[in-house]
Amino acid sequence: MTIATEKPLAFKVRADFPILHQEIHGKPLVYLDNAATSQKPIAVLEALKHYYENDNANVHRGVHTLSSRATDGYEGARDKVAAFVNAPSRQEIVFTRNASEAINLVAYAWAMSTLQPGDEIILTVMEHHSNLIPWQFVAQRTGAILKFVELTETEEFDFDHFKSLLSDKTKLVSVVHVSNTLGCINPVQEICAEAHRYGAKVLIDACQSAPHMPLNVQQIDCDWLVASGHKMCAPTGIGFLYGKLELLRSMPPFLGGGEMIADVFLDRATYADLPHKFEAGTPAIAEAIALGAAVDYLTAIGMDRIHTYEEELTAYLFKQLEQVPTIRTYGPKPNANGGGRAALAAFTAGDVHPHDLSTILDQAGVAIRAGHHCTQPLHRHLGAQSTARASLYFYNTREDIDVFIAALKEAVDFFGSIFG
Amino acid sequence: MTSSLGNLRDLYQQVILERYKKPRHRGKADPVSRYQKGHNPSCGDTIELTLRLNQAGDRIEEVKFEGEGCAIAMASADLMAEALTGRNVDEALQMVQRFQDMMKGGVEFPSEFRKLNVMQGVSQFPVRIKCATLTWHTLKAALEAASSEKLEEFVSNE
Ligand SMILES: Cc1ncc(COP(=O)(O)O)c(C=O)c1O
Repeated sequence: MTIATEKPLAFKVRADFPILHQEIHGKPLVYLDNAATSQKPIAVLEALKHYYENDNANVHRGVHTLSSRATDGYEGARDKVAAFVNAPSRQEIVFTRNASEAINLVAYAWAMSTLQPGDEIILTVMEHHSNLIPWQFVAQRTGAILKFVELTETEEFDFDHFKSLLSDKTKLVSVVHVSNTLGCINPVQEICAEAHRYGAKVLIDACQSAPHMPLNVQQIDCDWLVASGHKMCAPTGIGFLYGKLELLRSMPPFLGGGEMIADVFLDRATYADLPHKFEAGTPAIAEAIALGAAVDYLTAIGMDRIHTYEEELTAYLFKQLEQVPTIRTYGPKPNANGGGRAALAAFTAGDVHPHDLSTILDQAGVAIRAGHHCTQPLHRHLGAQSTARASLYFYNTREDIDVFIAALKEAVDFFGSIFG
Repeated sequence: MTSSLGNLRDLYQQVILERYKKPRHRGKADPVSRYQKGHNPSCGDTIELTLRLNQAGDRIEEVKFEGEGCAIAMASADLMAEALTGRNVDEALQMVQRFQDMMKGGVEFPSEFRKLNVMQGVSQFPVRIKCATLTWHTLKAALEAASSEKLEEFVSNE
């Protein structure tokens, strides 16, 4: 038997992403802003094109052939998403514009009509604004109280603090699965078990986990889970809400319009069955179908494989970052195999402001994010006004990390020579 | 920095880096005739300007700034503070316009204000223009406010 040195995953998939093969300021693009949005493989672009060239029609509204093809494609995508998160029923998947809309759906359709003054909602200090502002609205309107889980010394979810916040007053726990800034992976299964002991519902923001690791809503036992398609190889404009069937059934509709009705009279209406009750108006049909194609693409590679490969990259990224003077990373360090955290690094570099870093890196073809990453309260908590963030996906390579680190060193040297 | 990153020299001119490192006008004017906070919400940069005006309120005697931001934003504030000291309010407002024009690739400042021209390189980096203009935008709001009333309100530069 010969020992074949298998090529890393990225080398097999890079050809699928046309956008990666270009130069920025004369340098090959190194795209490290995947936590903001991912790039799209040809299979997804083709799905969009194929739909508009062959099947475009409105869904659920016609008996003609195109309408039935569009409907089949759209509903087929729902099956794919249901399988992707292991939902027991396709009726538990509601298409939304993005994760933010899915959270707002739960806030308006469930929390606004359920919560009473003095009821408590537990969030964490690391939440994305999308999983904070809707609950501020709810608190303002219902008199419910927001409580926040703090961080441990290693800048992770403080489970003991969480337990101390739980009580019979707790009606909802809404937490991010993987932090887009700290990169910590929160123990969502344990969080759900603990919250359910008090009869509280749990919403999981899976924006940064769904693209990178296998998800199983039955195992997690969450009440709702949300994600955005654009971070997992699908187009913008499509995301989804998973909710337990009985719970979704008990919730009143969110938006009103076509698609979500059964019988309409001038003064009242009855509503469509799940999931259409929550999908008012013509949906993002092509985008949903393309999300289905993205799920097929990711599943064909294997979410386990993606996760394992990204762990290798994480180990390398952190090892290399340690070599750069003045760098301070946020969130937990990876373990020896690169596990225990997400494949992203938010960092600061001494006196060099993240925006200046980002501009300098852009000149080297490297795209990173600089700013507060929509986690302003977390940044305040960390005592950093803004951070730089490099976030990876399975099409990134060690060579990408090398280019990034070399440019980062150069930037730090450049400013360091001034600051002496 | 290698030559490959050479055009960054236009952006990060020595003066800008020096001012970022060692600003000359950080602090608070005394007494404060005008106070204004400004920010760029999407990136989180903030600035707090304080001005001391003459008795008649038509001449700027002192400009100071506090705040947090990138090298471009902070150096721009420091250079602005210097250039405005001793200027009439009307003249300062014209300079706000001139600075904004320069960022769009327009003409530079005459020699008496030539230090401000080191900011010209920013015009080649469109996403960074709002960093350079934050301080000028905040100044405009400070001068246009009747007095130092709206202490808690930010003006946004976006
Ligand atoms: C953890 C997390 N939650 C929520 C969101 C919001 O996603 P969207 O803007 O697609 O609704 C993001 C994306 O920025 C995120 O990273």
